[in-house]
Amino acid sequence: MNIKIGFEVHQQIATRRKMYCNCPTNYQDVPPNTNVCPICTGMPGAKPLPPNQRAVEAAVEIALMLGCRVYTNQTIYIQRKHYDYPDLPSGYQRTSLPLAGGGSLLGVRIREIHLEEDPGQYDPLGGNVDYNRSGIPLVEIVTEPDMKSPEEARNFLRALVRVLEYTGKVRPEAGGAMRADVNISLEGGGRVEVKNVNSIKGAYRALRYEVIRQREKLKRGLGVERETRAFLESQMVTVPMRVKETEEDYRYIPDPDIFPLILDEGWVEKIRERMAEPPHLRESRLISEYKITRAAAEVIVSERELADLYEAVAREVDPKLVAIWFRTRLKKVLNYMKLRAADIKFTPAQLAGLLRMVRDRQLTPEQGELVLRELAKHPAEPEKIIARLGLFPIKREELLPIIARVIEENQKAVEDYRSGKEEAINFLTGKVLQLTGRRADPREITRLLIEKIGKK
Amino acid sequence: MAEGTLAKLARIRGGELSAAENVASALERIQELDRRINSFIELNPNALAEAEAVDRKIKRGERVGKLAGLTIGIKSNINVAGLRATCASRTLQNYVSPYDAEVIKRIRAEDGIIIGMNNMDEFACGSSGETSAFGPTDNPAAPGHIPGGSSSGGAAAIAARLCDLCLGTDTGGSIRNPASHCGIVGLKPTYGLVPRQGLIDLGMSLDQIGPLSADVAGTALLLETIAGRSDNECIMLKVDRVNYSELLREKSLKGMRIGISEKFSELTDPAIMKVIDGQIEKLRDLGAEIVEVDLPNLERGLSAYYLIVSVEFFSGTRKFDGRKYGRRIEDVCGEEVLRRILRGRYISQKEYRGKFYQRALQVRTLVRRELLAAFERVDVIVGPTVPKLPHRLGTKITPMEMYAYDYLTVPANLAGICAGVVNAGRVNGIPVGLQVQGRVLGEPEVLRVMQALEAAG
Repeated sequence: MNIKIGFEVHQQIATRRKMYCNCPTNYQDVPPNTNVCPICTGMPGAKPLPPNQRAVEAAVEIALMLGCRVYTNQTIYIQRKHYDYPDLPSGYQRTSLPLAGGGSLLGVRIREIHLEEDPGQYDPLGGNVDYNRSGIPLVEIVTEPDMKSPEEARNFLRALVRVLEYTGKVRPEAGGAMRADVNISLEGGGRVEVKNVNSIKGAYRALRYEVIRQREKLKRGLGVERETRAFLESQMVTVPMRVKETEEDYRYIPDPDIFPLILDEGWVEKIRERMAEPPHLRESRLISEYKITRAAAEVIVSERELADLYEAVAREVDPKLVAIWFRTRLKKVLNYMKLRAADIKFTPAQLAGLLRMVRDRQLTPEQGELVLRELAKHPAEPEKIIARLGLFPIKREELLPIIARVIEENQKAVEDYRSGKEEAINFLTGKVLQLTGRRADPREITRLLIEKIGKK
Repeated sequence: MAEGTLAKLARIRGGELSAAENVASALERIQELDRRINSFIELNPNALAEAEAVDRKIKRGERVGKLAGLTIGIKSNINVAGLRATCASRTLQNYVSPYDAEVIKRIRAEDGIIIGMNNMDEFACGSSGETSAFGPTDNPAAPGHIPGGSSSGGAAAIAARLCDLCLGTDTGGSIRNPASHCGIVGLKPTYGLVPRQGLIDLGMSLDQIGPLSADVAGTALLLETIAGRSDNECIMLKVDRVNYSELLREKSLKGMRIGISEKFSELTDPAIMKVIDGQIEKLRDLGAEIVEVDLPNLERGLSAYYLIVSVEFFSGTRKFDGRKYGRRIEDVCGEEVLRRILRGRYISQKEYRGKFYQRALQVRTLVRRELLAAFERVDVIVGPTVPKLPHRLGTKITPMEMYAYDYLTVPANLAGICAGVVNAGRVNGIPVGLQVQGRVLGEPEVLRVMQALEAAG
């Protein structure tokens, strides 16, 4: 069955000041209606300040990272989109005409990119409006209906969020800063728009629900009419919105109080030069440049700082070894400590030093992981950490007597192994490892054990 | 003839007249006369205290601003912190401004004393001063007639000498029209010269704040106080402050090329034209060269103007939704305001955009080009301000008859140029103003011509 899915994604841009006034943007950290002024509350007579250049710049950078063509050297009007809702202090929202378009991500075409401003937050139960959020810049990313399943749509959103995070210029998704309108149609049915989607998970659930709902209707010959629905996160269903809300005419006019944007071509090129490499392109480059697996590259580019760290370390030590460590032990340590790559305090040189020792078998991989854990907690030169933890590799003369002793004390396991129970060797290895204070390489222990037991 | 603005200013600065006395006598006159004229909606309770502060500065020999102690009335669509910016409308009747408009900050910085908030046509929608929710304003220069609008209260207050200067606003003639009917001086500045931060919207692409005064010197003085660049606003010309008073020292009109157009007499009451033509002769006598200019599309501006203003007004009034400032505008406003909102809502519909609003913008471009082309040949264009005499207060007239007052004033707004008005004489005892239109940032030439006529008497 043919499914078509498209998105309009809204993401807050992380500027210090609002789009058209100088109020701060940390709306979640302050009491209601404190980050406000006559402009962002739409007081009578208040006029917008010139658009926040940093927001424009961020939108352009996002557009470039999504492979869009930026519409330079032409007038881009800021329009007034009129609608009546308590969270909208002036009765209209300012939204730019497209400032870029024609990009793509994971094969999904990006139709256009706009700049908008966030409305306030309305609490229908209490009847209160908090205008702290009003006027925070938003970038709107509109895709073509190129996704064919909820899963593909989810992958796209994940990739999109990763691109947005790579710019370092949007609010982290965790803060609920991303909102999406989802369009979905099944072959033979009308296009349904779902509003109120606030997360990737929400988008996925709304789409799954819509696929089932629309398929059932079509199966029963009922047809699916074109409509706008709202997603109810708590119940994981979509419900129709009132007709009035969907048939609205926004009566767009160019805002007479703001000069249209004109994006200078030279300025856009400067942004292109210094912008981060988009994650999807970086992933392909890492694979070909460092000859690492896609699975490893995927993990490495998941965060921009992680990829930066990888490339810095891979220049010093074997890139494949580094990739394996990033995918396994480093990822494990970061997850365990609930650290984001951006929070890492140790230097690439320190990590490279550690991996060099592992490569040269001065440390076992297990010991290396212990050092890494320490490194993440209290950054220092790896040698110092090793000395502090007493992690020096055990000498052969010291290891052999321990092996002999373990064989002596665990005759049953030895017999088991000899009679074909392979797993008994792991038990013996564990015993030895314990007695060495985990200083020996388990692979080495196993090898020596088999040597001894076989000899007898 | 009463004392000129500069003479009074000199007396205040010299300690001969205290600012407090000036304010007190203004308040007394308002008390005495305004019950009948109805030019103020609200008075500033701190005016006397503010004047006393200026007097203390003068006494201590400190520097005082260029408006030191002068009393200034403010149109009620401009925010003055602590006073009500009602727009003479029920929807904002209890709206107390929490902030000063940029022009008010500039007036305060020059030690001008805000005396109160002037009456006006509701939301500046009207050319008669009769659409105010606070009742109509009388014309002190022709009692029983409309003072014109929409800066009706300001013009009437100046004509009755209730205060020294007033701030009006002009979207399609709202400073010039009442200045003409009340026999005073007024000027609509070049679009983008005066900051609009704090001015409540009518037609944002046309609105300008400007001065009203008894003499040209007063207009120049107030204009130089409020004009000039502001970084707190997008749509502003990047021009530095200009000292217009200084430029007025040049009294001669020698070498000045002054444009006139046949179009004006086609559209205007012959009795008014007669007075205007007399003034043009005077200009010739003063050494100016009079040049005919062609303005074939001038009258087309009017309908384009009313379409543009209605769409922008509809947009600008969406915030008066009844949730924040008293009652929803459509529920309490007068007929003309409602007419414009509904017109704006109708023609801004998606399916009519190309038909009305875009067309209107095209006509606007046409009118602008025509005027700018004329200004390649002349320094200013002079002619009548209003094509007909003001009607008697309370006369029922149709909306089209009301709009017809604006034929000659809207082109300057559409083109974004400046235009001033100075009294030209009287017809049947009713004042008639001469309009002097200047090019973009042509205020010095406009003021010079106005001053020359004023001096010639």
